[in-house]
Amino acid sequence: MAAPMELFCWAGGWGLPSVDPDCLAVLTYARFTGAPLKVHKVTNPWRRAGAQDNPWPHTVPFIRQKYNADYDLSARQGADTLAFVSLLEEKLLPVLIHTFWVDAKNYVEHTRKWYAEAMPFPLNFFLPNRMHKRQLQRLQLMWGDSCLEDEEELEKEMYREALECLTLLSQRLGDQKFFFGDSPASLDAFVFSHLAPLLKARLPNGKLQQHLKSLQNLCDYCTSILSLYFPWDGGEWPGLEPRLLLCWAWGRSQ
Amino acid sequence: MSLVAEAFVSQIAAAEPWPENAVLYQQLKEEQILLSDNASSLAVQAFLQMCNLPVQVVCRANAEYMSPSGKVPFIRVGNQVVSELGPIVQFVKAKGHSLSDGLDEVQKAEMKAYMELVNNMLLTAELYLQWCDSTTVEEITHPRYGSPYPWPLNRILAYQKQWEVRRKMKAIGWAGKSLEQVFDDVDQCCQALSQRLGTQFYFFNKQPTELDALVFGHLFTILTTQLTSDELSEKVKNYSNLVTFCRRIEQQYFEGHDKDSSASARSSKGYLLS
Repeated sequence: MAAPMELFCWAGGWGLPSVDPDCLAVLTYARFTGAPLKVHKVTNPWRRAGAQDNPWPHTVPFIRQKYNADYDLSARQGADTLAFVSLLEEKLLPVLIHTFWVDAKNYVEHTRKWYAEAMPFPLNFFLPNRMHKRQLQRLQLMWGDSCLEDEEELEKEMYREALECLTLLSQRLGDQKFFFGDSPASLDAFVFSHLAPLLKARLPNGKLQQHLKSLQNLCDYCTSILSLYFPWDGGEWPGLEPRLLLCWAWGRSQ
Repeated sequence: MSLVAEAFVSQIAAAEPWPENAVLYQQLKEEQILLSDNASSLAVQAFLQMCNLPVQVVCRANAEYMSPSGKVPFIRVGNQVVSELGPIVQFVKAKGHSLSDGLDEVQKAEMKAYMELVNNMLLTAELYLQWCDSTTVEEITHPRYGSPYPWPLNRILAYQKQWEVRRKMKAIGWAGKSLEQVFDDVDQCCQALSQRLGTQFYFFNKQPTELDALVFGHLFTILTTQLTSDELSEKVKNYSNLVTFCRRIEQQYFEGHDKDSSASARSSKGYLLS
């Protein structure tokens, strides 16, 4: 018997049910499949035991055992999903991290401000900075192998590849409703969760954001998913009994 | 002789044609080069062969340090130095040669996505196996990586590289994976490639593209390199169309060509494709 699951995730903001792309991906996937999920919005990451980065590969397979959004996909479409997820992780994700956490103006005026306002005292004094350092380190490890290259050149190259990635996504989507026809799949959840924060956040320095806004089909895609699946702007799910506790970091032990 | 120079690919003058004396640098193929670097090097060699551009393969123990980005292989064309497949493809395009011009926009998007899939899963799995699996590290990686250098430099360099790779694995979330999970990821990746390839000769139409070169580089190397166990190559062998694909590319672009390129397609401990 399937017991409803509980999910702890970052709280919503900027018109989204959650500000964190990974949490948003899990939420969106659950909405697509209709999986019963009781969502707890937290603003205190220490409440989550053993919180790790990148819960998507651990939590979604767990949900997928009972609620599978990719059931109707052909083998070839399944392969395409894997490929496009890789493309996003390699080309877009590092630049998203850079845009929100490393770019000085964006970090100080937007990201740090939001997290500092959302977190309880006294965590709001030092946790945002700690997260900033961790993201910076993560980015350096993902991209910092080319130690001989000039940092500015590297940044330009990174942004150029991310802009190209967005354009490729737009071309692949075309004028379809979702990436594989009329019903959403896990790829849609993944793409939406990475594009929506970029689209919705009011960033002072928005080079990547401007490019996304110029790709009309991607903007319409995000807006339509938001209005179809999150009409209450991240409100609670209609009444479900919580019986099984699923912390998204524990999902991988399944 | 120092070959370190910054290469701004987009600004390179396309006016000069491809010279006869282009050189590709990699580590020593018999004693030193590792699985992942061999795969990357073979991918570039295959790409250049497919473009019909002559290149001579030269092995240097310090190839990694000579490279402008710290990664092998890198090519020296005239007085420009370019490393890694992506920039090399762009550089070659600037000189007027391209394998993917005939693709439409959607196909180009798919090609880039599948190339990232190979980099994200296959290359990372190779790095994991080489640097995070203790048996492989002790029996193969450490002895090979530092082999051109005297003690204690050989050990120091090997440990330094291992530390670097392990940090990166942690950053991308692979540090917590078990070897079984990594093999499952390889299997998933091969399955996706096999499904995409289907019964076609190449991934797109009847002509090879850089994706074919990249997939060939990795799969051929996995199939022909002897490791501590056969599990990795078995994962690839499960997909007969991928094995046929590798054999076809080897026959078409490496056999009967320059002895140097075909010899570098097999490692000293490797065995022929059966």
